[in-house]
Amino acid sequence: MLPIGQLLGEGVVVGLAGGTGCLATCGPVLLPYLLAEEGRSRWASVLALGQLLLGRLVGYLAIGILAWLAGMTVLASPRWRAWLVGTAYLGVAILMVAYGFSPAAKGCAATPGAGILARVRTRWPKLLPAALGLLTGLNLCPPFVVAITRAADAGGLAGSLAFFSAFFVGTSVYLAPLPLLGWLRRPEAVRTTARLAAGVVGVYFAYLGLVNLIGGLLA
Amino acid sequence: MSSTPTTTSRPWSPGLSWPKTALAALPMLLLTALMLLGGRPLPHDPLRLVPLLAVFVLSNVLFVLMLRTGKTDRFRAILFVTVAVCFVLSFIPNLLEVRGNIGLTGDDLVQGKTPFCHMVIPMTVIPAALTRTIIFPGSMLTGFAAIGSMLVLWLAATLALGRGFCSWGCFFGGLEDGLSRVRNRPLVKAIGKRWTYLPYAVLGTVVVISALTLTPTYCEWLCPFKSVTEFNALTNTRAVAQAVIFFSLFAGLVVVGPVVTRKRTQCGLFCPMGAFQGFTNKLNAFEVRVDRERCSDCGQCEKVCPTFSLDRESLAKGGTRVSCVKCGKCVDACPKGAAAFHIKGTALRPQARSARLLFLYPAFLFLTVFGSGMIQDGLYRVLLLVTTGSMIAH
Repeated sequence: MLPIGQLLGEGVVVGLAGGTGCLATCGPVLLPYLLAEEGRSRWASVLALGQLLLGRLVGYLAIGILAWLAGMTVLASPRWRAWLVGTAYLGVAILMVAYGFSPAAKGCAATPGAGILARVRTRWPKLLPAALGLLTGLNLCPPFVVAITRAADAGGLAGSLAFFSAFFVGTSVYLAPLPLLGWLRRPEAVRTTARLAAGVVGVYFAYLGLVNLIGGLLA
Repeated sequence: MSSTPTTTSRPWSPGLSWPKTALAALPMLLLTALMLLGGRPLPHDPLRLVPLLAVFVLSNVLFVLMLRTGKTDRFRAILFVTVAVCFVLSFIPNLLEVRGNIGLTGDDLVQGKTPFCHMVIPMTVIPAALTRTIIFPGSMLTGFAAIGSMLVLWLAATLALGRGFCSWGCFFGGLEDGLSRVRNRPLVKAIGKRWTYLPYAVLGTVVVISALTLTPTYCEWLCPFKSVTEFNALTNTRAVAQAVIFFSLFAGLVVVGPVVTRKRTQCGLFCPMGAFQGFTNKLNAFEVRVDRERCSDCGQCEKVCPTFSLDRESLAKGGTRVSCVKCGKCVDACPKGAAAFHIKGTALRPQARSARLLFLYPAFLFLTVFGSGMIQDGLYRVLLLVTTGSMIAH
């Protein structure tokens, strides 16, 4: 097994090198959410980013474990890669479209007789960034594939997880400033537009998901 | 709304007397003659001469009627819809002559033979500012609908009209405008206000994706007007998927939507170019204002506005939302003469007639000059079809 220190260092560097790609994927997903919610405090914006990052970390570590378990056989296959990414993107699409195009919940979840659906509708957006982070974390972009290759060479589960954790730190640097935008004053028009933009981004991810799934079928 | 007897007893009208109309129409007569001829002698070919004279007569008759009756939208719409219809009649045969095909091939893209239109401007200028790269596969300065010339035209119109461009220049908007007048009463009356923010969401998304992927996303995937202009040659699954999207959006937003709502649904609920253009209303000197003292809150203006630009909130502030296209429909419809064209920073009532005239000159001249080429060529193609059996000149 390669030394942990070396794996950590390499993970951070690979993450920093490919982190703009992560910004391109996670930025359009997180930004509408940060701008859409009413009355969010500064800390709530940071918490949303924290959820997204935590979701991504879980996604990365899941890939790290898969990379170690499968010895690259599954993830090296273009078909499996396409199906994994396609499914994850469709998951993002469903969440974003449901969030963006459904009317903003105004009722109080604690109202007696509101029913389970009303409660879910009022509360589920609070965990939305974590779910989106997890699903976007499964994105097998070129730097991520490099990371998988390196992690598979790490020679053990601990090494693989260490490498992906460091890779996560490197890529997260680019996402750290995003909550600053959530601190801006947001009139009703901006919040409505941002929410609808989440739906439009969802449609885009649906397209990406379908392209990957069809690509997997044809591979 | 409270109003004084003196202001409600005689509704204000921006119409002019015949002598004043003649005097005000004279500059337009000379300007259109100058612009249409462009320093060239009259063409000898009757197939070219007849359309030229037709445009000259039609535009000036409409302008005279606009001045005399005080009705803006009624006569603007005739010319605007004519431009849009003639654009379609002119564009496809022109493309066949210039490029030889309607379906874009890979070679056409590489050689930059894709005509540039204003719809893609926000998805081009913002990535260009960020990356110093023009992402559109068209010719920059020369050739058919080159990027440079379209940008200059758009900039001029934007400075003069703001989002008025969408009612006085956009050769796609006329299709919807015409179709929104087919029925006398709308079948669908209520559209949630939140959906009027969708164009801004589409704008933000396509600009970000265009900048990240360095491709004109809107052109490739979302433009309804590809259905009546050009699209990728149907040689693979992707191109077929794109064509299905184009035709679906065209059918829904440009045909069915306007007919059932009597609104310009593509412009008001989807168009990212319109959303982008809306911001230029903030910079433009002209606007539509509602005099609260004359307004009786009848809601007629809100009802007729084709782009959802008037609501209770904006009326309470005495104006329109930023999405106003300055078509003049609310001004024509207001029974109290409370809605009027206005120059920012000036008093409302004393300036109303002169403000309308000052707006009409650049707006009408732009529509006539920008659209005259399309009307002339469209009529030429029709005459060509009648006389030779083909719309393509050999």
